[in-house]
Amino acid sequence: MSVATATEATIGHGPVRAGKRETAYPGWFLLPAAVIYAVLFLLPTISSLYFSLTRWTLFDATFIGFENFAQFFREPFLVKGLVNTVIYAVVTSSMKVVLGMALALLLTSRIVARGYLRSVVFFPVLVSTIGVGITFTVLMHPTNGMINEGLALLGVKGPGWLTNPNLALFSVALVDVWKGVGLATVIYIAGLVAIPKDYYEAARIDGATPWQNFWFVTLPLSRPATATVITLSFIGGLRTFDLIWAMTKGGPGFASDTIASVIYKQYQAGFFGLSTAGNVVLFILIAILVVPLTMLLNRKRGHE
Amino acid sequence: MKNRASVIGGLAAILFSFFVFVIPFLFIILMSFKDRQQASLRDFSWPNGFHLWDNLVAVVSTRNWMMVTAFVNSTIMTVTSVTLLIVFAAMVGFVLARRNSRWNGPIEFLILAGLMIPPAVVPTIWLLQGLKLFGTLHGMILIQVAYNLPFSIILYRAFIVTIPRELDEAAVIDGARPLDVFFRIILPLLWPVTVTNIVVQSVGIFNDFTNPLYYLPGNQNATVQLTLYNFQSQFNTSYNLLFTNILLITIPPLIVFLFFNRQIVAGMTAGAVKG
Amino acid sequence: MAGLELRQLRKSYGNVEVIKGVDLTIEHGEFVVFVGPSGCGKSTLLRMIAGLEDITGGELRIGGKVMNQVEPRDRSIAMVFQSYALYPHMTVYDNVGFGLKLAKTPTDVRDQKIREAARILQMEHLLDRKPGQLSGGQRQRVAIGRAIVRQPEVFLFDEPLSNLDAALRVDTRMEIAKLHQNLGASMIYVTHDQVEAMVLADKIVVLDGGVVQQVGSPIELYQRPANLFVAGFIGSPKMNLLPVAVEAVSNGKVTVSSKDLAATDVAANASGISPGTTVTLGIRPHALQISSSGTLVGRVAIVERLGNETNVNVELPTGGQLMAVLDGDQPLQIGNGIALGFDPADAVIFDGQGLARHL
Repeated sequence: MSVATATEATIGHGPVRAGKRETAYPGWFLLPAAVIYAVLFLLPTISSLYFSLTRWTLFDATFIGFENFAQFFREPFLVKGLVNTVIYAVVTSSMKVVLGMALALLLTSRIVARGYLRSVVFFPVLVSTIGVGITFTVLMHPTNGMINEGLALLGVKGPGWLTNPNLALFSVALVDVWKGVGLATVIYIAGLVAIPKDYYEAARIDGATPWQNFWFVTLPLSRPATATVITLSFIGGLRTFDLIWAMTKGGPGFASDTIASVIYKQYQAGFFGLSTAGNVVLFILIAILVVPLTMLLNRKRGHE
Repeated sequence: MKNRASVIGGLAAILFSFFVFVIPFLFIILMSFKDRQQASLRDFSWPNGFHLWDNLVAVVSTRNWMMVTAFVNSTIMTVTSVTLLIVFAAMVGFVLARRNSRWNGPIEFLILAGLMIPPAVVPTIWLLQGLKLFGTLHGMILIQVAYNLPFSIILYRAFIVTIPRELDEAAVIDGARPLDVFFRIILPLLWPVTVTNIVVQSVGIFNDFTNPLYYLPGNQNATVQLTLYNFQSQFNTSYNLLFTNILLITIPPLIVFLFFNRQIVAGMTAGAVKG
Repeated sequence: MAGLELRQLRKSYGNVEVIKGVDLTIEHGEFVVFVGPSGCGKSTLLRMIAGLEDITGGELRIGGKVMNQVEPRDRSIAMVFQSYALYPHMTVYDNVGFGLKLAKTPTDVRDQKIREAARILQMEHLLDRKPGQLSGGQRQRVAIGRAIVRQPEVFLFDEPLSNLDAALRVDTRMEIAKLHQNLGASMIYVTHDQVEAMVLADKIVVLDGGVVQQVGSPIELYQRPANLFVAGFIGSPKMNLLPVAVEAVSNGKVTVSSKDLAATDVAANASGISPGTTVTLGIRPHALQISSSGTLVGRVAIVERLGNETNVNVELPTGGQLMAVLDGDQPLQIGNGIALGFDPADAVIFDGQGLARHL
């Protein structure tokens, strides 16, 4: 009664047809989740495809074809948002991979105060993004901020972290890495701990140097962890909104706008169709970047 | 030799982590102890006197005790949506793990889609308005459930696969109906993942800023994250109060962290290392 | 009275038929063992009786009532699973009482039944423990206890001993036999171990490929196997099966020979067997003895000395193998010649279809 009840019932050998008996796994168990998910997530997502093609006031929608998308790629500040989104995602996810791996190696080695270090690195993951954003906005103030005051003590003149248009996006990305690297680290730690010790012992018998150990054992065998870290942080980076909004609101000018902040700004300004088009653009961007990326990362290697 | 290297390395790491990770938090704490005048300097200095209590009172009573309302709202939102998430996600995970129907493929696709696709904001608002749920806590709770279901389902399903099917069958023979099997046998056995789910999801939902920003406008429904965001402009001359506010909303995650560190890490790394 | 009747019972998964029309009658109080190699359908058949698998075709009656559409809880059956399937989060007391609780049995009645079952199984001292704190044998008892309190008409056992170590398996086997005597209920027991089947059963059902090969008492199956499959499956070590040529045929007798075997008369139903065809001669290892006039001559290849008996693997000149179980300790040297004889009355002829030709 458990397996493929529906198909069995239709075969019906012999005089007695298999009819409806109770299953311990009734389909209606899916229903509450399915209704909530379908109504509040699927329906809006699907209807966004239509509304992105309209001039929309929430009360009536006028079909205007691809005008919103055309505008999205015509207006320089919107294009800027698109480019920024990709830069932000690439910068944050690659930094999280490298730093996360390095920290994980450090924190799985025989180092003193390991527990303390793990906690300290991980704690920012749990803290309110808005709180972190506000704190770093204060710390990154060009004249009054602690970071530049600290640098001044070392005789370095700190930059305008959030006021320099060329730097603002990267400063936010840096804070994003600060807040998120702990998650990458614990994922890597879990991955490293799962590597059987035999490999290292075999490598040692073969006379491998620590570097060779890392390159030929650790790196290939922590590949699933790498895949997870990249996928998670890349999707997170593409969708990022709250940190940017808390720190720069996309400024100065449009220097640190991302698609998500553009969506919010257009929504605030009442351009609902355009805002929804932004959503669709972000959706497509994620689809065309993340799907091949995950396929590449999860591809089984030839010799495995 | 090795020992000395690990001590030196450890000390270097502690020093580095102190500057990078601890100082920002110390800064928050020190600021919340200062008075307004000293806080306006925004430097890393020892407070002139103990002003935490005054600051707390000031923050909490601002704008007609807005913080209290916000804490109540955030708590209701978090507790209710996490409760619903747990029951609904476990039910889906159970059926999905146990039945091999042709629906499994499409359902898994929808779960992955839910993890990846950014929610379409304005159409959701339009829909919520149609359902008279826009700007209500009820609507917000359902949104949180919808957006976080995929992750919880994945956690549950992976665990349910490890529970032998013979247990369900023994219960069926004992006369258990589907709801008995689920609530009396399966759900109690899921407790470890449930704890993970509670911890991870409640931290995420409590800290959520974006969704309340869109779907929960208005002061009566403010959550703590929204309140903090709004106070940013209100307190732009009172940094002591701003940082007291940050300190205040960092306490719940801190408590969760102290008690459930292990579960959080387990939950967040779930599925990351199999290969 | 709760007999069991299976009429042309069938089960398919999609296009794959795994139970191909099983007919079987089980009397009230009988101990029936389903035996067969893994994948033969014995567990599926048991689960169909339990109601855990839908019945694709045919009819199942328990106590005269058609049960095809009846829920497991209403079939008056109880089942003991291979992994015991104890609820890990409940105490032994609650495990045993779970079914009664679901049936809304009054607390005092429930308590009395649980304690009665615990007394029968001598596990009163375990009632407050959780399954995780029990040994394999103790878990087995709890699983049986859970079945007993349901006071079923039919007990179903799905390879209940396969997770126990060898010594415990023998003990538990005896306890199950004792339980059957005391309770007097019907029991259906699934195993792949033919020794368990022989020891426990009133009636053995040998299954292969979803088809019943033979039904009968243990001794019947041993002495008069219906076909090559049953002959090979029942009895340990396995029956020797030699391809032989038919020399002559007369009423109730077939004369066979091969390069390894001088012409021998074997009593058999000879109808349809013609001289010159090839048939199979089955001889149990225990039926072979060393004899200077023995008709099977070969060389000793392997000797296993068990003290009370000696297993000899003999290599025949044509390359065939023969297994013999000899009484006592035999001083045999590997490589030496050996001549084995047998009483033709103990041999069985199987025809070209593999069916036994008992008289």
